[in-house]
Amino acid sequence: MINYESDEERAEAIKKWWKENGLSILLGVGIGLGAIFGWRAWMGYRETVGQQASAAFEQLLAAAAGNAQSTRAQSKLLREEFAATAYATLASLVQARVEVEAGNLAAARTALEQAIAGSPAPGIRRIAALRLARVLIAEGDLEGAAGLVAQHDDSKGFGGAFAALRGEIAQAQGRMADARAAYEQALAAGAPSPDRIRMKLDNLPPAS
Amino acid sequence: MLQTIRERAQGWIAWVIVIFISIPFALWGIQSYLGVGAEPVVATVNGVEITERELDDHYRGFKARLRDRLGAAYRPELFDDNAMRGQVLDQMIRDSLLMQTAEDLGLRASDRELRGSILSDPAFQKDGQFDNPTYERMLELQGMVPHQFEDELRRQIVGTQLLRAIVATEILPDRALEAAVQLDRQQRRLSFIRVPKSAFLSEEPVSDEEVTAYYESNRSRFQIPERIRIQYLVLDARSIAPPEVPGEQELREHYEAEKDRFTQPERRRVRHILIALDAGADAAQEDAAKAAIAEIRERIAGREGFAALAKELSQDPGSAAQGGDLGFIEQGLLDPALDQAAFALDPSQLSEVIRSRFGYHLIEVTGIDPGETKPFEAVKPELIADLEQRGNEGLFFESTERLANLSYESPDSLEPAAEALGLELQTSGWIDRSGGEGILAYPKVLGAAFSDEVLLEGNNSDLIEPDHDQLQAVVLRVLEHEEATAKPLDAVRDEIVTILRDKQAADVAAAKATELADALTAGGTLSVIAGDYQVEDFGLVARDAEQIPAQILDFAFTLSRPNRGSENYGSLSLNSGDGAVVILTEVVDGSLEDLDEATRDQIRKGLTRDIGRAYYENLLVDLESRADITRSSLGKVTEEE
Repeated sequence: MINYESDEERAEAIKKWWKENGLSILLGVGIGLGAIFGWRAWMGYRETVGQQASAAFEQLLAAAAGNAQSTRAQSKLLREEFAATAYATLASLVQARVEVEAGNLAAARTALEQAIAGSPAPGIRRIAALRLARVLIAEGDLEGAAGLVAQHDDSKGFGGAFAALRGEIAQAQGRMADARAAYEQALAAGAPSPDRIRMKLDNLPPAS
Repeated sequence: MLQTIRERAQGWIAWVIVIFISIPFALWGIQSYLGVGAEPVVATVNGVEITERELDDHYRGFKARLRDRLGAAYRPELFDDNAMRGQVLDQMIRDSLLMQTAEDLGLRASDRELRGSILSDPAFQKDGQFDNPTYERMLELQGMVPHQFEDELRRQIVGTQLLRAIVATEILPDRALEAAVQLDRQQRRLSFIRVPKSAFLSEEPVSDEEVTAYYESNRSRFQIPERIRIQYLVLDARSIAPPEVPGEQELREHYEAEKDRFTQPERRRVRHILIALDAGADAAQEDAAKAAIAEIRERIAGREGFAALAKELSQDPGSAAQGGDLGFIEQGLLDPALDQAAFALDPSQLSEVIRSRFGYHLIEVTGIDPGETKPFEAVKPELIADLEQRGNEGLFFESTERLANLSYESPDSLEPAAEALGLELQTSGWIDRSGGEGILAYPKVLGAAFSDEVLLEGNNSDLIEPDHDQLQAVVLRVLEHEEATAKPLDAVRDEIVTILRDKQAADVAAAKATELADALTAGGTLSVIAGDYQVEDFGLVARDAEQIPAQILDFAFTLSRPNRGSENYGSLSLNSGDGAVVILTEVVDGSLEDLDEATRDQIRKGLTRDIGRAYYENLLVDLESRADITRSSLGKVTEEE
């Protein structure tokens, strides 16, 4: 510890110290404050954008009950303006539904592919994949559907649903034994609508 | 000395002291971040805690909702509290996961949705309108401040948004709908051979060993259930001796108090002409309507008939044909603007133009029924009946209180209460838990009779009101109690012999049916194989056909689909014990063509919703399987009510 002789000397020392370090301290404080305010501004901005996207999505859901044209427009707006939010993916799902209802399977496929590619959550991605596989089956692209199912069937929660689709694909391809096995697996794994799968199973030709 | 302190205060010791002092300040309040000493936690979901208090709150709410829904059937003593708390906790874990997922996805509830859902919540409304003091009071009851509640609500909104986004976007391609209809509306051509068990009933004696073995392994079938005889007192408002006839003075007071009931208010017969306007009409339409009604007023003033003009021009579809007549009307029934005019006009005076929310009106009063109040003498019998009933009810409640007290004071006998109140001591026959006749059929009465307090400890029951809508009260005690007893083997021997013979016959009939089905499968001719058994032809039947026993129908639809031109056979044992062979000759798929657009739409909607919901369920299972969930023991079950 240095002992200063007088107040002047001490003031001198402080001034000297400030000259050496003042800039970096100011800079540090500035950066710190900047970071805090910047972060808060960024969070505020995200909140605002999220809320806007949420409101737009509610409008989209309301529109989807009625007119296909306005749904497409609203969905496009969501996907372009709010591409960074999860609402963009959900908008693709809405769009897919509208296209399927209009009998426009190719467009529905595109929308679902977008949803799969952009989905921020694996669960939603799998749901989009299940839907896409069902569109492909409806279009007759059984190979494509089988590939998609194989690619996305990686979670226990959705195991039953995917197995049921494998059964449908095998049945359409005439592989009755495989279809039977897949349906049974679906039942065991708790697939949606078990009664319907039972019916499908009972409707298969006798095993020979 | 000061100099010394000053010198020391600048040394390193001073700094050490300052640092030590600052530690407690720096850490002050940190336990709320670390969770040290916080409330007990019942589960953790990906690091988010669910506290015991939250679980208690939810469980209380759950029970309250259950009570509202079940009403009189709500029997909290039947609940397994721990199991139900577990279920409520499971639901809370799922909700928490869902909200976390929504948050991770960056889903938000906009201020508008938040406001909308608060404003439309009936709990916060007063007279059908959102009321801020009510809102704050309700929150206070839940121990929350508005911003806490709003955050919570935001999370809920976001959770349901995800649910809606998944369920509402489910798809069903036309081909899939077609496939579903083919399956759902499938018809099958069936015939059926019954192999009656009666042909195989043997008269052979059944061995004692068999009977004993059956008796031993089916003991619960041969039991006389636990039963009791009870003694009880019934207090009934209807049988209480009427109090003395009310005096004139009392009757007059009652008449004055209830005058409204005996008053027929003034009614006026009104007719009107309406030029209708939509709620969203613009200024031009407004002006046009105003001009039209003014013109009509001119014409009536110019001595044209009101009724004729109403018939011609009024846009009120309900009254135009009657010349605008609305009949006799009491005050307060019409739109306020009309109401006010109708009860201010003189008879046959034409009103000014009136604006109501329906549009522009002209009205006229065509008759006045002045209304009247029935005089005291005319309603005297009614008044007497009123007061007597009121007196009766008063007596009844007084008596129930005495009954409750007396039967509580001498818990081992009902006689003192019966004597004091002049009630007849009644005795029941044997009843078990399924109840008896009349008052002994009420669940509350049975519940009390079989409660530990009454059955095991032999005390009088509490006062029971079997039915809230009737003024009746019961107190009871158990006279005799028999535990469930097994009927002796000898008493049920014949019964068992019949059961065993039936069973054996049914087995043989089933075996015979299987044999027939196998022979048919092997390629035998139906008429030869059926022999003496009758073949019944059901024709083409759908899954929901009603003319066929459900058991046969269900079985027939599980037979696998025969190839074209061939048949498929199966056998089963019917509930009646008869054997049956089912012959499936043809499967005809359902067709979309047969359904009208509305039915198709309905099926499509139903299927789409089912699939959407199922995927959503899958999503929750998926989330749960990958989440980090820990549960501690549920803690104690909190006592309430």
